[in-house]
This record gives sequence, structure tokens and C-alpha cells, in this order.
Amino acid sequence: MDRPPNTRPVTGGADKASASQAAVSVRNLRMGYGTRVLLEDASFDVHAGEIVVILGGSGSGKSSLMKNLIGLYQPLAGDVLIRGASLVRAGAEDKATLQRQLGVMYQSGALFGSLSVLENIRFPLDRFTDLSLEEKNLVARMLLQTLEMKQAESLMPGELSGGMLKRVAIARAMALGCDILLLDEPSAGLDPVTAANLDLMLLSLRKNLGVTLIVVTHELESIFAIADRAIMLDPISRTIIADDKPTTLRDRSSDARVHQFFNRQPDGHRATEVR
Amino acid sequence: MASTENLTLRLEGRVTAQTATSIWRSALDTLTSHPDRPIVIDTSRLEYVDTVGVAMLFDLGRQPRPAGAGVVFQALPPNLASLLHRYEAAEFATPVPARRHVGVFEHIGRSTVAQLRLLRELLGFLTLCRRALMQAIIHPGTVVWTDVLDVATEVGAHAVPIVLLTGFLMGVIIAFEVGLVARQFGAMIFVVNAVGKAMLRELAALMTAIVFAGRTGAAFAAQIGTQKVNEELNAISTFGLDPIEFLVLPRLLAAIFVVPLLAVLADVVGLYGGALVMASTFNVSYLQFYSQLLKAVTAQDFMLGIVKAAVFGMTVAAIGCHRGFRTGAGPASVGLSATGAVVASIVMVVVIDGLFAVMTS
Repeated sequence: MDRPPNTRPVTGGADKASASQAAVSVRNLRMGYGTRVLLEDASFDVHAGEIVVILGGSGSGKSSLMKNLIGLYQPLAGDVLIRGASLVRAGAEDKATLQRQLGVMYQSGALFGSLSVLENIRFPLDRFTDLSLEEKNLVARMLLQTLEMKQAESLMPGELSGGMLKRVAIARAMALGCDILLLDEPSAGLDPVTAANLDLMLLSLRKNLGVTLIVVTHELESIFAIADRAIMLDPISRTIIADDKPTTLRDRSSDARVHQFFNRQPDGHRATEVR
Repeated sequence: MASTENLTLRLEGRVTAQTATSIWRSALDTLTSHPDRPIVIDTSRLEYVDTVGVAMLFDLGRQPRPAGAGVVFQALPPNLASLLHRYEAAEFATPVPARRHVGVFEHIGRSTVAQLRLLRELLGFLTLCRRALMQAIIHPGTVVWTDVLDVATEVGAHAVPIVLLTGFLMGVIIAFEVGLVARQFGAMIFVVNAVGKAMLRELAALMTAIVFAGRTGAAFAAQIGTQKVNEELNAISTFGLDPIEFLVLPRLLAAIFVVPLLAVLADVVGLYGGALVMASTFNVSYLQFYSQLLKAVTAQDFMLGIVKAAVFGMTVAAIGCHRGFRTGAGPASVGLSATGAVVASIVMVVVIDGLFAVMTS
């Protein structure tokens, strides 16, 4: 897969990351709710320009991990670093600054229902820049053009299909120039064609804009289409049980759970029951 | 910025959402102040641009210039160049359409039409409710009475404290206000008549209905609205069940039974509140209050209040359910339905109260 060039045309407001410094680092993370632990001692790095997929069965804590990565949830232990700066230990103001470097697409899109598509994308620019209205409109329209959604600029979120909603949500996540995007199940509920188009668009964002992508999904086709690496969570052992290229995990993993997941195999006894 | 025959505009460092504003304006000013000179935008020292920076470069490149005085980029990184080539200036020429301003008269007209449409829908809905109620009276065995009891407990028993408080305060307020006037004429004993008539005929039922609208009408709209958003109503229909019988009828029956009972409680505490004020402030003993009350009010007054309360309860429940069924898509519409239910219920309760006043005068 193509790597972005050194001079990236579009990326977030943080200082230049050195080649060795990861865009996002997770260090010995322990997360959960109260006494219920979902993940123990998780550590991994996501480098600039990488597309990393977080996957696992239902209840393995994929979405919770994403919420820890963006600072919505406080981990029970460990740290999350955004370009070397701790999100967990940061004070409220520093944390907000770090969070503004992350573009997040929530599973539902989370667009503001009372604002049009264009106004939704303009929203972060209205709040955090001094640009004129024409300039902000130009930025928003160019993002819509990039995501092939320009025809929808006057529509309200309620008028959008699932695929359109997700693309607009990605555009809004990128409006402030965030070069780290976290996407929660971007292709869930989409038809295969729309999902494939969305995958292409994510690859294009990485190629042309140098965006780092962390994608939570369990759609196998999307994983093989876009991911440089796949990190698999296991709800039973509550650990990361795989971190490698998806094709490697599919073809060479010795872990039965990983092999079963990537080869879409049912549980043995269930398969026997119906035969 | 160095000036040669071509004017060179050198962009340096980082152009991001945080830094772009001044760079963008300064660059545009330079272009405007040299309309006849070719402009070279040198990006060789550009370290970093983000989404806003890309938009700035595109905007500078698309500025209309006379022939021979165009804008040319120098040392543009290939990925940035390929990105800028994706955008055509003509595609961004049309201004963003502003939201259409709706004038006062148009707004009034649209609102009137919407309210009339809503009223027509409500009448249709009430017809369905009436049919379901008749069915329940003819075949009471078809009603799921446990559902009715559950709803009655929720909307009735849990509303008792607030109804007691408002009813008591209504009695206190009427006794005070009327008592202050009556004292000037030495007609203190007739304050009892005012308190009795007002509470039994009007205020107990009216205040209970208003509390019921705020507390329960909104809850009905929100509950059914959420069920609609979650497609539970579709699931009910797909099972071959009638949503009116399944969801509305228990609420209607519960409201018809419970609101009169709440109104009786409001009557009792309202009269007690009036008696308390009379005894403590206007030297009318509890015994005098009681004997005068028996002379002042009749069983018809009491029954009128009870019938009104039942009608108010049915109205509030029906409007709450109707608003729930009309809920649109998305969570925001549930809130709108709840608000609409409260407003419409209170308005309808007051209108119906007015009709009762005319009919019983």
C-alpha cells in the first residue's frame, strides 16, 4: 500500500511527529467499568499514515477501547499517548487540546440534527478558527467534494442514507485538519457496494492526505481491503491476542481463535449440530 | 516575500486551521494589490498544511486574474499538487444557498395549516380511541387489566404527592384572595362558598389535569415516541396487534379511572387548605366552615368536577399517545413530541373547561 509522502498536504494541528514517534501509543492499558475489566495490559503503537483495525467478537471491548483512545473514558491503569503526550494524565485544558487533534466518527454518525450537512462540517471551524464564512464554506465544500458528497451540502442529517451519513461524519471529523481519524464501525449496516466505496475512500484519505486511521470493525472484507495491521481483542482472556497483517493472521496464525475469526468459521459443535 | 518581475509569494512553515487566517488574508491582499503582475507562490519552505491549508492554496490558485498575471505554484509537493488538481474552481463558484427566511405572515400561515392538519389527525385518532373504548366496554374481558393497573399505578399513585401539594395550595390561595376582599364587606362566611364551589367545580379538576398533562401526557408521548423511533410500533403491527388496543387503550382507561381519584384528593386537601386559612386568619372555625360548606355546595358540583376530571384525563392521555404516534425520526423528535403533548393537552383542557362552563351555566 502507498505510504504518504513526507510533506503531507493535510494533517492535524500537532507538532511534527518524528519518524520514531507513534501517532498513537497505548501503554499497559487496563480498561473496564468499575470492577468489570474488559482489557488487561494492552500495549501497541499506531504510526503516522498507518491504517490499524481493532477487531474482536461482540463484547470484546472494541468500542470501549476506542473511547479510551479518545479520552472519553478514563482507563483503570496505563496510558494513552497522542504523539507522545499523555491523554490520561493531561489536565482538562491539555486534554481538550489533544482531543482536538483526533477526528472521531461515531457509529451513528452523531451529526447535529438541526444543522445542514454543510453547517455540520463547518461547526468545528466556527468554534475554533477565525476564518471568514466564505473561507469556512470553502473548506467544508472541499471536504464534501473529497468525500463525494458535494451534492448533499444543503440536506439535513435526517435526509441522508447510512453511507452518506458516515461520509459526512468523516468530513466533519477532518474539518479541523485532524490527521488521526478514529472510526467506529464505518461499514456496519451498509450494503456491500457502499461499504467497498467507503473502504476506497479511506485508502484515498491515507494516500492523498496522509491520514492515520484507527478503525473499529469486524467486517472481514473491509479489514482485508484497508488494514495494514489488525489488533484482535479477546473477551475471554481480556487481552490482545493478535497484532499483525490481516493476511498473515488469516493464513499463518497458530491461535485457534484468530484462525477461526479470520476464516469465518462457526464453533465446531454448532457446525456438527446442523449437519 | 521577494519582488522580481514576477511577484513571488513565499509560504513558510505550517499552515493549519490555527494559523491559516492571517496567512490567507495577507496572501489575498497581496494578490489584490498587484492585479497586473504574475504571481508565483513558492511552497518550497512549506513544512506542513492541513485541510484548511489546502483550501487556502486552492483559493489562492482560483482567484480571477487578467491574462499574463496568473497564479503559479512553485515546488508544490506531488501529493499536494494531485490533490489540488482534483478540485475545479467552477465547482465552488456558486455561493452557499442561505437558509430561506420565512416571513411573519408565511410563518403564521404555515403554523395555522399545520395546526389544522394536526387537529384533523387528532380527531381521526380520537375516533379510533372511541372505537377501542367502546370495544372495551362491550367486551371487558379483552382488556389486559394488568397493563391498565401498571399504568394507573405509575400515573396515579406516583402523582399523589404533587397533586396534594397543588390542591392544598389552591385552597389556601383562594381563601386568602377572596377573604381579603370579603373582609371589607363583612362577608367572611361567604368565602367558604367561594372555596367550595371553586375547588369542587373547577380548580381541583383543572389543576390535577394540568399536573397530569405535565407529568403523564409528556411521558406517554415520550414512551410511544421512543417505541416508534426504535420501530417497536412496526413490530407490534407485524405481530398482528393493534397499536391502539395494545398501547393506547390501557393508558386511556388508566387516565379515566385515575384522574378523577386524584381530583377527589385535590378537593379534600384544597378544602382543608381553605379551612386552615379561614380558621387561622379570618376567625372562621372549622365547624363554621364545615356547616357553611354543606349549605354552599351540592352533589352536582362535586360530580361535575369528577366528570370534568375524567374527560380531562382522557383528553390528556389521548393527546399524549397521539403525539407519540406522530413522532418523526431521531431522538430529537421524541423531545418535540413530549413538549407538543404538554402544550396541546393544557390548551385542550382549558378549551374543554370553557365548554363545560358554558354548558353548565
